[in-house]
Amino acid sequence: MSENIVEKEIEVKDMSFFYGEKEALKNVTLNVEKNKITSLIGPSGCGKTTLLRCFNRMHDLYKGNRYTGEIIFKNQNILDKNIDITKLRTDIGMVFQKPTPFPMSIFDNVAYGLRLKGIKNKTELHNRVEHVLKKSALWNEVADRLSSSAMGLSGGQQQRLCLARTLAPEPDVVLFDEPTSALDPISTKKIEELMQELRGSITMLIVTHNMQQAARISDRTAFMYMGELVEEDATDIMFTYPKKQMTEEYITGKFG
Amino acid sequence: MDLRLIRKIKGYIMLFLSTLAALIGVVLLFAILYKVIMSGLDGLNLNLFIKDEAPAFLQASGGLRHAFIGQLLITVIASLIGIPIGILGGIYLSEYAHNTKTGRFLSSLADVSISIPTIIIGTFIYSILVRPLGHFNGWAGAAALAVILIPIVMRTTEESLKLIPWQLREAALALGTPMYKVIKDIVIKSALTGIFTGVSLAVARIAGETAPLLFTSFSNNTLSFNMNEPVASLTVSIFTYASSAFENWISLAWAAALVITVFILITNIILKQIMKKRSY
Ligand SMILES: Nc1ncnc2c1ncn2[C@@H]1O[C@H](COP(=O)(O)OP(=O)(O)O)[C@@H](O)[C@H]1O
Ligand SMILES: [Mg+2]
Repeated sequence: MSENIVEKEIEVKDMSFFYGEKEALKNVTLNVEKNKITSLIGPSGCGKTTLLRCFNRMHDLYKGNRYTGEIIFKNQNILDKNIDITKLRTDIGMVFQKPTPFPMSIFDNVAYGLRLKGIKNKTELHNRVEHVLKKSALWNEVADRLSSSAMGLSGGQQQRLCLARTLAPEPDVVLFDEPTSALDPISTKKIEELMQELRGSITMLIVTHNMQQAARISDRTAFMYMGELVEEDATDIMFTYPKKQMTEEYITGKFG
Repeated sequence: MDLRLIRKIKGYIMLFLSTLAALIGVVLLFAILYKVIMSGLDGLNLNLFIKDEAPAFLQASGGLRHAFIGQLLITVIASLIGIPIGILGGIYLSEYAHNTKTGRFLSSLADVSISIPTIIIGTFIYSILVRPLGHFNGWAGAAALAVILIPIVMRTTEESLKLIPWQLREAALALGTPMYKVIKDIVIKSALTGIFTGVSLAVARIAGETAPLLFTSFSNNTLSFNMNEPVASLTVSIFTYASSAFENWISLAWAAALVITVFILITNIILKQIMKKRSY
Protein backbone atom coordinates (compact mmCIF):
# COMPACT_ATOMS: atom_id res chain seq x y z
CA MET A 1 0.00 0.00 0.00
CA SER A 2 1.15 3.50 -0.77
CA GLU A 3 0.25 4.49 2.78
CA ASN A 4 3.68 3.37 3.82
CA ILE A 5 5.57 5.80 1.61
CA VAL A 6 4.69 8.92 3.55
CA GLU A 7 6.45 12.09 2.71
CA LYS A 8 7.32 14.41 5.57
CA GLU A 9 6.73 18.13 5.08
CA ILE A 10 7.82 19.28 8.52
CA GLU A 11 9.81 17.52 11.21
CA VAL A 12 9.63 18.86 14.73
CA LYS A 13 12.60 17.51 16.68
CA ASP A 14 12.68 17.72 20.45
CA MET A 15 11.43 21.28 20.39
CA SER A 16 10.68 23.32 23.50
CA PHE A 17 9.27 26.81 23.63
CA PHE A 18 9.39 29.44 26.36
CA TYR A 19 7.31 32.56 26.96
CA GLY A 20 10.02 34.22 29.03
CA GLU A 21 10.49 31.78 31.91
CA LYS A 22 7.32 29.81 31.23
CA GLU A 23 7.92 26.61 29.31
CA ALA A 24 4.82 26.31 27.13
CA LEU A 25 6.03 23.43 24.93
CA LYS A 26 8.08 20.56 26.30
CA ASN A 27 10.25 18.42 24.01
CA VAL A 28 7.73 18.16 21.22
CA THR A 29 8.55 15.71 18.46
CA LEU A 30 6.20 15.45 15.49
CA ASN A 31 6.25 14.66 11.80
CA VAL A 32 3.77 16.58 9.70
CA GLU A 33 2.87 14.64 6.56
CA LYS A 34 2.96 16.35 3.22
CA ASN A 35 -0.32 17.45 1.58
CA LYS A 36 -2.40 16.00 4.40
CA ILE A 37 -4.56 17.67 7.03
CA THR A 38 -3.24 17.31 10.57
CA SER A 39 -5.41 18.35 13.52
CA LEU A 40 -3.99 19.55 16.82
CA ILE A 41 -6.39 18.81 19.66
CA GLY A 42 -6.21 19.03 23.42
CA PRO A 43 -7.68 20.93 26.36
CA SER A 44 -7.57 24.72 26.40
CA GLY A 45 -4.13 26.04 27.36
CA CYS A 46 -2.26 22.86 26.41
CA GLY A 47 -0.13 24.68 23.83
CA LYS A 48 -1.85 24.10 20.46
CA THR A 49 -1.70 27.73 19.38
CA THR A 50 1.80 28.04 20.74
CA LEU A 51 2.98 25.09 18.63
CA LEU A 52 1.23 26.37 15.51
CA ARG A 53 2.85 29.77 15.83
CA CYS A 54 6.31 28.20 15.95
CA PHE A 55 5.98 27.08 12.34
CA ASN A 56 5.90 30.63 10.99
CA ARG A 57 7.97 32.09 13.82
CA MET A 58 5.10 34.39 14.85
CA HIS A 59 6.51 34.31 18.37
CA ASP A 60 9.47 36.40 17.20
CA LEU A 61 7.22 39.44 17.30
CA TYR A 62 7.29 39.50 21.09
CA LYS A 63 10.28 39.95 23.35
CA GLY A 64 11.52 37.21 25.61
CA ASN A 65 10.19 34.27 23.59
CA ARG A 66 12.69 31.47 23.05
CA TYR A 67 12.85 28.19 21.17
CA THR A 68 15.12 25.17 21.63
CA GLY A 69 15.36 22.08 19.44
CA GLU A 70 14.68 22.01 15.71
CA ILE A 71 11.91 22.30 13.16
CA ILE A 72 13.10 20.97 9.80
CA PHE A 73 11.34 22.31 6.72
CA LYS A 74 12.85 22.15 3.23
CA ASN A 75 16.09 20.75 4.69
CA GLN A 76 16.55 23.74 6.94
CA ASN A 77 16.07 24.32 10.63
CA ILE A 78 13.52 27.12 10.55
CA LEU A 79 14.26 27.99 14.17
CA ASP A 80 17.71 29.09 13.02
CA LYS A 81 18.25 32.79 13.75
CA ASN A 82 19.68 33.46 10.29
CA ILE A 83 16.77 32.10 8.34
CA ASP A 84 14.88 34.40 5.94
CA ILE A 85 11.61 34.85 7.83
CA THR A 86 9.87 36.64 4.99
CA LYS A 87 10.55 33.68 2.71
CA LEU A 88 9.45 31.25 5.42
CA ARG A 89 6.15 33.07 5.81
CA THR A 90 5.56 33.02 2.06
CA ASP A 91 6.01 29.24 2.19
CA ILE A 92 3.98 28.74 5.36
CA GLY A 93 0.81 30.83 5.50
CA MET A 94 -1.63 31.30 8.37
CA VAL A 95 -5.37 31.77 8.85
CA PHE A 96 -6.44 33.19 12.21
CA GLN A 97 -9.36 32.59 14.53
CA LYS A 98 -11.06 35.90 13.83
CA PRO A 99 -11.24 37.09 10.22
CA THR A 100 -8.54 39.69 9.59
CA PRO A 101 -9.42 41.58 6.41
CA PHE A 102 -7.04 44.44 5.63
CA PRO A 103 -8.53 47.94 5.36
CA MET A 104 -8.53 47.91 1.56
CA SER A 105 -10.55 46.53 -1.34
CA ILE A 106 -11.39 42.86 -1.77
CA PHE A 107 -9.08 42.72 -4.77
CA ASP A 108 -6.18 44.39 -2.96
CA ASN A 109 -6.59 42.02 -0.03
CA VAL A 110 -6.06 38.98 -2.22
CA ALA A 111 -3.40 40.70 -4.31
CA TYR A 112 -1.45 41.79 -1.23
CA GLY A 113 0.77 38.73 -0.98
CA LEU A 114 1.21 38.61 -4.76
CA ARG A 115 2.43 42.20 -4.87
CA LEU A 116 4.80 41.40 -1.99
CA LYS A 117 6.22 38.67 -4.18
CA GLY A 118 6.92 41.33 -6.79
CA ILE A 119 4.10 40.58 -9.22
CA LYS A 120 3.12 43.94 -10.75
CA ASN A 121 1.63 43.02 -14.12
CA LYS A 122 -2.07 43.95 -13.99
CA THR A 123 -3.34 41.07 -16.12
CA GLU A 124 -1.35 38.51 -14.18
CA LEU A 125 -2.53 39.95 -10.85
CA HIS A 126 -6.11 39.90 -12.02
CA ASN A 127 -5.91 36.36 -13.33
CA ARG A 128 -4.36 35.05 -10.17
CA VAL A 129 -6.82 36.88 -7.91
CA GLU A 130 -9.72 35.51 -9.94
CA HIS A 131 -8.28 32.02 -9.86
CA VAL A 132 -7.78 31.94 -6.12
CA LEU A 133 -11.17 33.53 -5.39
CA LYS A 134 -12.79 30.82 -7.50
CA LYS A 135 -10.81 28.20 -5.64
CA SER A 136 -12.06 29.70 -2.36
CA ALA A 137 -15.68 29.59 -3.55
CA LEU A 138 -15.95 33.34 -3.16
CA TRP A 139 -15.82 34.49 -6.78
CA ASN A 140 -19.56 34.38 -7.43
CA GLU A 141 -20.25 36.45 -4.35
CA VAL A 142 -17.67 39.18 -4.93
CA ALA A 143 -16.97 39.30 -8.69
CA ASP A 144 -19.07 42.45 -9.13
CA ARG A 145 -17.57 44.32 -6.17
CA LEU A 146 -13.87 43.54 -6.22
CA SER A 147 -13.03 47.18 -5.67
CA SER A 148 -15.25 47.70 -2.65
CA SER A 149 -13.94 47.45 0.88
CA ALA A 150 -13.37 44.00 2.35
CA MET A 151 -14.83 45.28 5.61
CA GLY A 152 -18.30 45.13 4.06
CA LEU A 153 -18.26 41.33 3.72
CA SER A 154 -19.97 39.03 6.21
CA GLY A 155 -17.83 37.23 8.79
CA GLY A 156 -17.88 33.96 6.86
CA GLN A 157 -17.00 35.71 3.61
CA GLN A 158 -14.21 37.59 5.34
CA GLN A 159 -12.74 34.33 6.60
CA ARG A 160 -12.84 32.81 3.10
CA LEU A 161 -11.25 35.99 1.81
CA CYS A 162 -8.46 35.57 4.36
CA LEU A 163 -8.00 32.00 3.19
CA ALA A 164 -7.89 33.21 -0.43
CA ARG A 165 -5.33 35.85 0.56
CA THR A 166 -3.21 33.20 2.24
CA LEU A 167 -3.47 30.84 -0.74
CA ALA A 168 -2.69 33.47 -3.38
CA PRO A 169 1.12 33.38 -3.05
CA GLU A 170 0.90 29.56 -3.30
CA PRO A 171 2.31 28.45 0.04
CA ASP A 172 3.34 24.84 0.69
CA VAL A 173 1.79 24.82 4.14
CA VAL A 174 -1.20 26.63 5.66
CA LEU A 175 -1.66 26.91 9.43
CA PHE A 176 -5.21 27.33 10.78
CA ASP A 177 -5.85 28.45 14.36
CA GLU A 178 -9.47 27.58 15.15
CA PRO A 179 -10.52 29.07 11.82
CA THR A 180 -14.22 28.36 12.26
CA SER A 181 -14.78 29.01 15.94
CA ALA A 182 -16.12 32.50 15.21
CA LEU A 183 -18.32 31.36 12.31
CA ASP A 184 -21.87 30.07 11.88
CA PRO A 185 -22.42 26.42 10.86
CA ILE A 186 -22.91 27.17 7.16
CA SER A 187 -19.74 29.24 6.91
CA THR A 188 -17.94 26.55 8.90
CA LYS A 189 -19.04 23.94 6.41
CA LYS A 190 -17.79 26.04 3.51
CA ILE A 191 -14.34 26.41 5.07
CA GLU A 192 -14.20 22.68 5.77
CA GLU A 193 -15.15 21.90 2.17
CA LEU A 194 -12.42 24.20 0.92
CA MET A 195 -9.90 22.43 3.10
CA GLN A 196 -11.01 19.12 1.64
CA GLU A 197 -10.44 20.45 -1.85
CA LEU A 198 -6.97 21.68 -0.97
CA ARG A 199 -6.00 18.36 0.54
CA GLY A 200 -3.53 16.63 -1.72
CA SER A 201 -1.95 19.84 -2.90
CA ILE A 202 -1.23 21.72 0.33
CA THR A 203 -0.11 20.64 3.78
CA MET A 204 -2.54 21.86 6.39
CA LEU A 205 -2.26 22.05 10.16
CA ILE A 206 -5.40 22.97 12.06
CA VAL A 207 -5.89 23.75 15.73
CA THR A 208 -9.40 22.92 16.79
CA HIS A 209 -11.21 22.52 20.09
CA ASN A 210 -13.98 20.75 18.25
CA MET A 211 -13.30 17.02 18.19
CA GLN A 212 -16.02 16.29 15.65
CA GLN A 213 -14.32 18.72 13.33
CA ALA A 214 -10.97 17.01 13.77
CA ALA A 215 -12.59 13.64 13.12
CA ARG A 216 -14.47 14.96 10.10
CA ILE A 217 -11.74 16.69 8.20
CA SER A 218 -8.30 15.51 9.16
CA ASP A 219 -6.07 12.67 8.02
CA ARG A 220 -3.87 12.81 11.07
CA THR A 221 -4.57 13.96 14.61
CA ALA A 222 -2.15 14.98 17.31
CA PHE A 223 -3.21 15.15 20.95
CA MET A 224 -1.46 17.61 23.23
CA TYR A 225 -1.59 17.94 26.99
CA MET A 226 0.15 20.50 29.21
CA GLY A 227 2.71 21.49 26.62
CA GLU A 228 3.54 17.94 25.61
CA LEU A 229 2.65 16.08 22.47
CA VAL A 230 1.06 12.96 23.87
CA GLU A 231 0.29 11.04 20.72
CA GLU A 232 -0.05 11.46 16.96
CA ASP A 233 -1.60 9.00 14.54
CA ALA A 234 -4.07 8.52 11.70
CA THR A 235 -7.33 10.22 12.69
CA ASP A 236 -9.46 7.04 12.57
CA ILE A 237 -7.04 5.22 14.83
CA MET A 238 -6.83 8.15 17.25
CA PHE A 239 -10.59 8.28 17.58
CA THR A 240 -11.08 4.51 17.89
CA TYR A 241 -8.01 2.84 19.40
CA PRO A 242 -5.68 5.50 20.79
CA LYS A 243 -2.54 4.02 22.29
CA LYS A 244 -2.39 6.27 25.31
CA GLN A 245 -4.97 6.18 28.05
CA MET A 246 -4.93 9.96 28.41
CA THR A 247 -5.90 10.38 24.76
CA GLU A 248 -8.78 8.01 25.22
CA GLU A 249 -9.98 9.86 28.29
CA TYR A 250 -9.88 13.17 26.46
CA ILE A 251 -11.63 11.85 23.39
CA THR A 252 -14.37 10.21 25.38
CA GLY A 253 -14.94 13.47 27.20
CA LYS A 254 -13.61 12.47 30.63
CA PHE A 255 -11.79 15.80 30.88
CA GLY A 256 -11.14 18.88 28.80
CA MET B 1 -36.70 59.79 62.00
CA ASP B 2 -36.62 56.67 60.02
CA LEU B 3 -33.56 55.76 58.05
CA ARG B 4 -35.25 55.67 54.67
CA LEU B 5 -36.41 59.23 55.00
CA ILE B 6 -32.91 60.40 55.93
CA ARG B 7 -31.46 58.59 52.94
CA LYS B 8 -34.07 60.13 50.72
CA ILE B 9 -33.30 63.63 51.95
CA LYS B 10 -29.58 63.07 51.53
CA GLY B 11 -30.26 61.89 48.01
CA TYR B 12 -32.19 65.04 47.20
CA ILE B 13 -29.46 67.25 48.63
CA MET B 14 -26.86 65.49 46.53
CA LEU B 15 -29.02 65.79 43.43
CA PHE B 16 -29.61 69.47 44.12
CA LEU B 17 -25.93 70.26 44.65
CA SER B 18 -24.71 68.46 41.56
CA THR B 19 -27.44 69.96 39.39
CA LEU B 20 -26.53 73.39 40.72
CA ALA B 21 -22.85 72.82 39.94
CA ALA B 22 -23.66 71.66 36.43
CA LEU B 23 -25.93 74.68 35.94
CA ILE B 24 -23.22 77.09 37.05
CA GLY B 25 -20.86 75.56 34.50
CA VAL B 26 -23.37 75.70 31.68
CA VAL B 27 -24.58 79.19 32.54
CA LEU B 28 -21.01 80.50 32.63
CA LEU B 29 -20.25 78.93 29.26
CA PHE B 30 -23.34 80.47 27.73
CA ALA B 31 -22.61 83.82 29.37
CA ILE B 32 -19.17 83.80 27.75
CA LEU B 33 -20.58 82.80 24.38
CA TYR B 34 -23.35 85.38 24.67
CA LYS B 35 -20.93 88.17 25.51
CA VAL B 36 -18.52 87.17 22.72
CA ILE B 37 -21.30 86.94 20.15
CA MET B 38 -23.06 90.16 21.15
CA SER B 39 -19.93 92.28 21.38
CA GLY B 40 -18.30 90.52 18.46
CA LEU B 41 -21.11 91.09 16.00
CA ASP B 42 -20.73 94.88 16.40
CA GLY B 43 -17.23 94.96 15.01
CA LEU B 44 -17.78 92.17 12.55
CA ASN B 45 -17.58 93.48 9.01
CA LEU B 46 -15.60 92.86 5.87
CA ASN B 47 -12.91 95.37 6.88
CA LEU B 48 -11.90 93.02 9.66
CA PHE B 49 -10.61 90.57 7.08
CA ILE B 50 -9.34 92.84 4.31
CA LYS B 51 -7.72 95.75 6.15
CA ASP B 52 -4.66 95.92 8.34
CA GLU B 53 -4.18 97.88 11.50
CA ALA B 54 -5.13 101.55 11.31
CA PRO B 55 -3.73 103.95 13.94
CA ALA B 56 -6.30 103.92 16.66
CA PHE B 57 -6.39 107.70 17.25
CA LEU B 58 -7.56 108.27 13.65
CA GLN B 59 -10.74 106.41 14.52
CA ALA B 60 -10.44 104.97 11.00
CA SER B 61 -11.92 101.54 10.45
CA GLY B 62 -8.90 99.31 10.35
CA GLY B 63 -8.94 95.52 10.27
CA LEU B 64 -7.01 92.52 11.45
CA ARG B 65 -6.00 90.98 8.11
CA HIS B 66 -2.35 91.12 9.18
CA ALA B 67 -3.21 89.20 12.33
CA PHE B 68 -5.35 86.56 10.59
CA ILE B 69 -2.63 85.94 8.03
CA GLY B 70 0.15 86.02 10.62
CA GLN B 71 -1.73 83.55 12.79
CA LEU B 72 -2.30 81.29 9.81
CA LEU B 73 1.36 81.50 8.82
CA ILE B 74 2.62 80.62 12.29
CA THR B 75 0.05 77.86 12.77
CA VAL B 76 0.75 76.30 9.37
CA ILE B 77 4.51 76.30 9.90
CA ALA B 78 4.11 74.93 13.43
CA SER B 79 1.88 72.17 11.99
CA LEU B 80 4.33 71.37 9.20
CA ILE B 81 7.06 70.88 11.81
CA GLY B 82 4.97 69.35 14.57
CA ILE B 83 2.58 66.94 12.82
CA PRO B 84 5.17 64.69 11.14
CA ILE B 85 7.29 64.53 14.30
CA GLY B 86 4.23 63.86 16.43
CA ILE B 87 2.90 61.11 14.17
CA LEU B 88 6.28 59.41 13.82
CA GLY B 89 6.72 59.61 17.59
CA GLY B 90 3.28 58.05 18.08
CA ILE B 91 4.19 55.25 15.66
CA TYR B 92 7.37 54.62 17.60
CA LEU B 93 5.50 54.45 20.91
CA SER B 94 2.75 52.15 19.67
CA GLU B 95 4.57 49.89 17.20
CA TYR B 96 8.18 49.69 18.28
CA ALA B 97 8.23 50.56 21.97
CA HIS B 98 4.95 49.01 23.12
CA ASN B 99 5.23 47.24 26.47
CA THR B 100 8.79 48.47 26.96
CA LYS B 101 10.10 50.65 29.77
CA THR B 102 11.36 53.25 27.28
CA GLY B 103 7.94 53.39 25.65
CA ARG B 104 6.07 53.85 28.90
CA PHE B 105 8.58 56.47 30.05
CA LEU B 106 8.30 58.49 26.85
CA SER B 107 4.51 58.20 26.93
CA SER B 108 4.26 59.63 30.41
CA LEU B 109 6.82 62.28 29.51
CA ALA B 110 4.54 63.34 26.65
CA ASP B 111 1.61 63.43 29.07
CA VAL B 112 3.59 65.67 31.40
CA SER B 113 4.54 68.02 28.55
CA ILE B 114 0.89 68.29 27.55
CA SER B 115 0.08 69.65 30.98
CA ILE B 116 2.96 72.16 31.15
CA PRO B 117 1.51 75.69 31.15
CA THR B 118 2.12 77.00 27.66
CA ILE B 119 3.61 80.22 28.96
CA ILE B 120 6.55 78.17 30.22
CA ILE B 121 7.05 76.75 26.75
CA GLY B 122 6.99 80.33 25.44
CA THR B 123 9.63 81.36 27.96
CA PHE B 124 11.78 78.39 27.05
CA ILE B 125 11.64 79.17 23.31
CA TYR B 126 12.31 82.81 24.16
CA SER B 127 15.54 81.80 25.84
CA ILE B 128 16.80 79.75 22.89
CA LEU B 129 15.31 81.42 19.79
CA VAL B 130 14.63 85.03 20.76
CA ARG B 131 17.27 86.14 23.26
CA PRO B 132 20.25 84.85 21.23
CA LEU B 133 18.94 86.63 18.09
CA GLY B 134 18.10 89.78 19.95
CA HIS B 135 14.57 90.22 18.57
CA PHE B 136 11.17 88.54 18.41
CA ASN B 137 10.57 86.47 15.29
CA GLY B 138 7.98 84.31 13.59
CA TRP B 139 10.08 81.15 13.71
CA ALA B 140 10.18 81.30 17.49
CA GLY B 141 6.38 81.53 17.56
CA ALA B 142 6.04 78.57 15.23
CA ALA B 143 8.57 76.61 17.28
CA ALA B 144 6.67 77.30 20.50
CA LEU B 145 3.40 76.12 18.96
CA ALA B 146 5.14 73.06 17.49
CA VAL B 147 6.45 72.15 20.94
CA ILE B 148 2.87 72.27 22.25
CA LEU B 149 1.58 70.32 19.26
CA ILE B 150 4.07 67.44 19.21
CA PRO B 151 3.17 65.64 22.46
CA ILE B 152 -0.56 65.96 21.78
CA VAL B 153 -0.27 64.50 18.28
CA MET B 154 2.14 61.86 19.57
CA ARG B 155 -0.23 60.61 22.26
CA THR B 156 -3.39 60.70 20.14
CA THR B 157 -1.57 58.85 17.36
CA GLU B 158 -0.31 56.28 19.84
CA GLU B 159 -3.79 55.75 21.26
CA SER B 160 -5.36 55.46 17.80
CA LEU B 161 -2.79 52.90 16.69
CA LYS B 162 -3.17 50.88 19.88
CA LEU B 163 -6.86 50.44 19.11
CA ILE B 164 -5.97 48.39 16.04
CA PRO B 165 -5.98 44.72 17.06
CA TRP B 166 -2.61 42.99 17.14
CA GLN B 167 -4.07 40.14 15.17
CA LEU B 168 -4.36 42.42 12.13
CA ARG B 169 -0.64 43.15 12.31
CA GLU B 170 0.07 39.45 12.79
CA ALA B 171 -2.06 38.59 9.76
CA ALA B 172 0.00 40.95 7.63
CA LEU B 173 3.28 39.70 9.05
CA ALA B 174 2.14 36.11 8.45
CA LEU B 175 2.02 36.89 4.73
CA GLY B 176 5.70 37.78 4.86
CA THR B 177 5.16 41.54 5.03
CA PRO B 178 8.05 43.49 6.52
CA MET B 179 7.18 45.49 9.66
CA TYR B 180 7.50 48.94 8.05
CA LYS B 181 5.04 47.92 5.34
CA VAL B 182 2.63 46.51 7.91
CA ILE B 183 2.68 49.89 9.65
CA LYS B 184 2.36 51.86 6.41
CA ASP B 185 -0.29 49.77 4.60
CA ILE B 186 -2.34 48.28 7.40
CA VAL B 187 -1.97 49.92 10.78
CA ILE B 188 -1.91 53.59 9.80
CA LYS B 189 -4.63 53.07 7.25
CA SER B 190 -6.91 51.48 9.85
CA ALA B 191 -6.22 54.27 12.32
CA LEU B 192 -6.43 57.13 9.84
CA THR B 193 -9.68 58.66 11.15
CA GLY B 194 -8.36 58.61 14.70
CA ILE B 195 -5.02 60.14 13.75
CA PHE B 196 -6.70 62.78 11.60
CA THR B 197 -9.08 63.72 14.40
CA GLY B 198 -6.27 63.95 16.94
CA VAL B 199 -4.17 66.09 14.64
CA SER B 200 -7.06 68.43 13.90
CA LEU B 201 -7.95 68.86 17.56
CA ALA B 202 -4.30 69.61 18.30
CA VAL B 203 -4.09 72.18 15.50
CA ALA B 204 -7.31 73.81 16.69
CA ARG B 205 -5.78 73.91 20.13
CA ILE B 206 -2.57 75.71 19.08
CA ALA B 207 -4.57 78.07 16.88
CA GLY B 208 -6.05 79.51 20.05
CA GLU B 209 -2.82 79.94 22.03
CA THR B 210 -1.75 83.40 23.18
CA ALA B 211 0.79 83.07 25.93
CA PRO B 212 3.56 81.28 24.02
CA LEU B 213 3.35 83.83 21.18
CA LEU B 214 3.75 86.86 23.46
CA PHE B 215 7.41 86.02 24.09
CA THR B 216 8.22 84.66 20.67
CA SER B 217 6.59 85.99 17.50
CA PHE B 218 5.19 88.88 19.56
CA SER B 219 3.19 91.16 17.29
CA ASN B 220 3.41 93.33 14.23
CA ASN B 221 1.07 96.10 13.18
CA THR B 222 1.57 95.53 9.48
CA LEU B 223 1.14 92.54 7.23
CA SER B 224 4.41 90.62 7.18
CA PHE B 225 5.45 87.30 5.74
CA ASN B 226 8.98 87.57 7.06
CA MET B 227 9.39 84.85 9.63
CA ASN B 228 12.67 86.40 10.78
CA GLU B 229 10.76 89.40 12.06
CA PRO B 230 7.91 89.70 14.56
CA VAL B 231 4.67 88.36 13.09
CA ALA B 232 1.19 89.43 14.10
CA SER B 233 -1.26 86.87 15.46
CA LEU B 234 -4.94 87.04 16.27
CA THR B 235 -4.60 86.01 19.84
CA VAL B 236 -1.88 88.52 20.68
CA SER B 237 -3.77 91.20 18.77
CA ILE B 238 -6.88 90.46 20.77
CA PHE B 239 -4.81 90.82 23.91
CA THR B 240 -3.32 94.18 22.85
CA TYR B 241 -6.51 95.59 21.35
CA ALA B 242 -8.75 94.54 24.18
CA SER B 243 -6.49 96.11 26.76
CA SER B 244 -6.16 99.36 24.78
CA ALA B 245 -8.22 102.49 25.48
CA PHE B 246 -9.70 102.88 22.02
CA GLU B 247 -13.32 102.02 21.32
CA ASN B 248 -12.73 100.86 17.75
CA TRP B 249 -9.81 98.61 18.78
CA ILE B 250 -11.80 97.03 21.56
CA SER B 251 -14.61 96.38 19.14
CA LEU B 252 -12.16 94.76 16.68
CA ALA B 253 -10.83 92.58 19.48
CA TRP B 254 -14.32 91.33 20.21
CA ALA B 255 -14.93 90.60 16.55
CA ALA B 256 -11.66 88.67 16.32
CA ALA B 257 -12.55 86.77 19.50
CA LEU B 258 -15.86 85.83 17.93
CA VAL B 259 -14.19 84.57 14.76
CA ILE B 260 -11.68 82.45 16.66
CA THR B 261 -14.32 81.06 19.04
CA VAL B 262 -16.64 80.09 16.21
CA PHE B 263 -13.73 78.48 14.34
CA ILE B 264 -12.64 76.39 17.32
CA LEU B 265 -16.22 75.50 18.25
CA ILE B 266 -17.08 74.30 14.77
CA THR B 267 -13.89 72.27 14.32
CA ASN B 268 -14.46 70.63 17.69
CA ILE B 269 -18.08 69.77 16.99
CA ILE B 270 -17.30 68.32 13.56
CA LEU B 271 -14.35 66.30 14.84
CA LYS B 272 -16.18 64.96 17.89
CA GLN B 273 -18.95 63.89 15.51
CA ILE B 274 -16.44 62.03 13.33
CA MET B 275 -14.98 60.33 16.41
CA LYS B 276 -18.42 59.26 17.63
CA LYS B 277 -19.27 57.67 14.29
CA ARG B 278 -16.04 55.75 14.31
CA SER B 279 -16.49 54.20 17.74
CA TYR B 280 -19.89 52.66 17.04
N1 LIG C 1 1.98 35.46 25.38
C1 LIG C 1 2.02 34.55 26.37
N2 LIG C 1 2.81 34.75 27.44
C2 LIG C 1 2.86 33.84 28.44
N3 LIG C 1 2.18 32.71 28.46
C3 LIG C 1 1.37 32.43 27.42
C4 LIG C 1 1.25 33.34 26.32
N4 LIG C 1 0.38 32.83 25.43
C5 LIG C 1 -0.01 31.64 25.95
N5 LIG C 1 0.58 31.40 27.14
C6 LIG C 1 0.41 30.20 27.98
O1 LIG C 1 0.91 29.09 27.27
C7 LIG C 1 0.07 27.98 27.44
C8 LIG C 1 -0.40 27.48 26.10
O2 LIG C 1 -1.24 28.43 25.51
P1 LIG C 1 -1.91 28.23 24.09
O3 LIG C 1 -0.89 27.74 23.15
O4 LIG C 1 -2.60 29.50 23.74
O5 LIG C 1 -2.98 27.09 24.39
P2 LIG C 1 -4.14 26.51 23.48
O6 LIG C 1 -4.06 27.16 22.13
O7 LIG C 1 -3.90 25.06 23.44
O8 LIG C 1 -5.41 26.83 24.18
C9 LIG C 1 -1.06 28.42 28.34
O9 LIG C 1 -0.75 28.03 29.65
C10 LIG C 1 -1.05 29.90 28.23
O10 LIG C 1 -1.48 30.50 29.42
MG1 LIG D 1 -5.49 28.48 21.10
